[in-house]
Amino acid sequence: MIDVKNVTKRFGEGQAAVTALEDVSLTIPEGSFFTLLGPSGCGKTTLLRLIAGFELPSEGEIALDGESIGHLAPNNRPVNTVFQNYALFPHMSVARNVGFGLEMLKRPKAEIDSTITEMLDLVQLGEFATRRVDQLSGGQQQRVALARALAPRPKVLLLDEPLSALDLKLRKGMQSELKRLQHETGITFVFVTHDQGEALAMSDRIAVMSAGSVRQVGTPEEIYTAPKSRFVADFIGDTNIVNATLLGFDGDAAKIRFGEGKPLTIHTASTLLEPGPVHVALRPETIRVVEESAETALLRGEVVDSTYFGAGSQMLVRLEDGVSVHVQVSTPRPVGSRVGLECDTSMLHVLED
Amino acid sequence: MAKLSSLFRPSTDARELRRQPLFTGMSWLVLLFLYAPIAVLVVFSFNDNRSVVRWTEFSLRWYTAALENDDIRRSAMISVQVALTATMFSTIIATMAALATTRGSVYRGRSAATALINQPLMIPEIVTAIATLAFFSILRQLTGVTGIGWLILAHTVFCVPFAYMPIRARLSDMSVTYEAAAADLYATNWQTFRYVTLPLLMPGVMAGAMLAFVVSLDDVIITLLVAGPGETTLPIYILGQIRRGVTPEVNAVSTILIGVTIAMVALTFFLQRKRK
Repeated sequence: MIDVKNVTKRFGEGQAAVTALEDVSLTIPEGSFFTLLGPSGCGKTTLLRLIAGFELPSEGEIALDGESIGHLAPNNRPVNTVFQNYALFPHMSVARNVGFGLEMLKRPKAEIDSTITEMLDLVQLGEFATRRVDQLSGGQQQRVALARALAPRPKVLLLDEPLSALDLKLRKGMQSELKRLQHETGITFVFVTHDQGEALAMSDRIAVMSAGSVRQVGTPEEIYTAPKSRFVADFIGDTNIVNATLLGFDGDAAKIRFGEGKPLTIHTASTLLEPGPVHVALRPETIRVVEESAETALLRGEVVDSTYFGAGSQMLVRLEDGVSVHVQVSTPRPVGSRVGLECDTSMLHVLED
Repeated sequence: MAKLSSLFRPSTDARELRRQPLFTGMSWLVLLFLYAPIAVLVVFSFNDNRSVVRWTEFSLRWYTAALENDDIRRSAMISVQVALTATMFSTIIATMAALATTRGSVYRGRSAATALINQPLMIPEIVTAIATLAFFSILRQLTGVTGIGWLILAHTVFCVPFAYMPIRARLSDMSVTYEAAAADLYATNWQTFRYVTLPLLMPGVMAGAMLAFVVSLDDVIITLLVAGPGETTLPIYILGQIRRGVTPEVNAVSTILIGVTIAMVALTFFLQRKRK
């Protein structure tokens, strides 16, 4: 288990200092596939480099299984990294690359050799042991990098956007390969990516980051269906963000109203919001189209566009207040017709801005 | 150094330039004045005659004479001894300097350090020579130490910037991620240097060493002032000989020197090209 406690990282000094991470706290459960997700510059790679030891925190503490590691050198941490550009040693064979960690730890030769074989089999590169690194394809280099990082049996494996250099088809294959490796080894994986689809497909838990802080941590389902903030809702998948009025709170739930409609009780990320205008997230696939006059309609508007995409159609509905909403339907209504939109109130979430 | 080779690869612009009037003529003139004297020297080293202006017949007699000349052999040995020792020390120092100016965290005065290491290349050699002479005289008097060590020390010092340039160039081209990966895989600082940095840096180190060796081998000015009695290097010996006129024997020795130098430079380029 990794405990990141109140970590701040600043680069530079004085006036020129740039804060890459601001008071970040995070718990990464043991044996999980944990993803740090966010746009470039959000601090996810900095956090990874802090866990690896390539950077030291300006403030705060990082603990691994209760032991403080925040100020140890990288070679003294039971943590290995798969680098974005793999960083395989070009002057060594595949086998020596994979055995490098154990060699540095001065393990017996027999143990190193058997681990190399085991690791290369694990990533299905058994017959490539004697090859030079530059004789391998990108996907193969990727797997050597994985084998090299896994060979010393680290407590944590850090992966810095390892799939970004691969083409789409290879990337899909590597996604399930990574899941399999994590499952088979039981090692905690900390995976950095800016690709929300990748994060949703692979992770046990996701931490969504922006501008140097963690915005939300949760399972992919939680992140997708219950985004806490406008940023998370926007960043993960297609989301409609519509205007509503917050009337007040009912325990942990929020009472809101769309336009002049009837009050609804829905989830909220925060009970600290002030009553007044708020944003509500609803996913396109949770919306049903009904007649404009229907009692159950929560929102009403006019169909302004409709796009066929094979499995169905995506309609664009402009609401009365001018906000456009995407809706996925099997049979679209004609453009120009007026419709009502309904959805389970459990699918609605008040967002923090 | 590496940039040099790209100069010879014609780019689109170079092709345009080649069509300019006079370009071809000028090029041939430059090459003629650069290499014709050397060609003449080499040709007359094979001349079976005392004259260096009148060709008679092909012969290796001046090579035989040169190789049998004890003074030439002794000075060649001193040259090689000084050059090898100076190359070794200056390459080690240059490698350390290159690491200190390209790796690790940025510190105050890092770019100043880089400039200071390269500065001797800009200072006229005669100034360095006189300064070294004066400084070493003081040190010799204070310590009472004499011997060829002083000459080797002087050569080591002026070889450092020459060795430094290609090593630094290679280091700054080399991604620091390799060293990060080594540290991540439990390598200590020393292991990282020994198993990752140094092997990857080797072509640069070799190039630097070759350059240092060549520069040391043909140095005249500093050696002339610093060398003590009995420390005559080959260039100093040749200089002494040509006061009595150019002899074919000197031509032969010079040709051998040219051969060694060309071999060194060619090897340097070859090593730099490799692994690129």
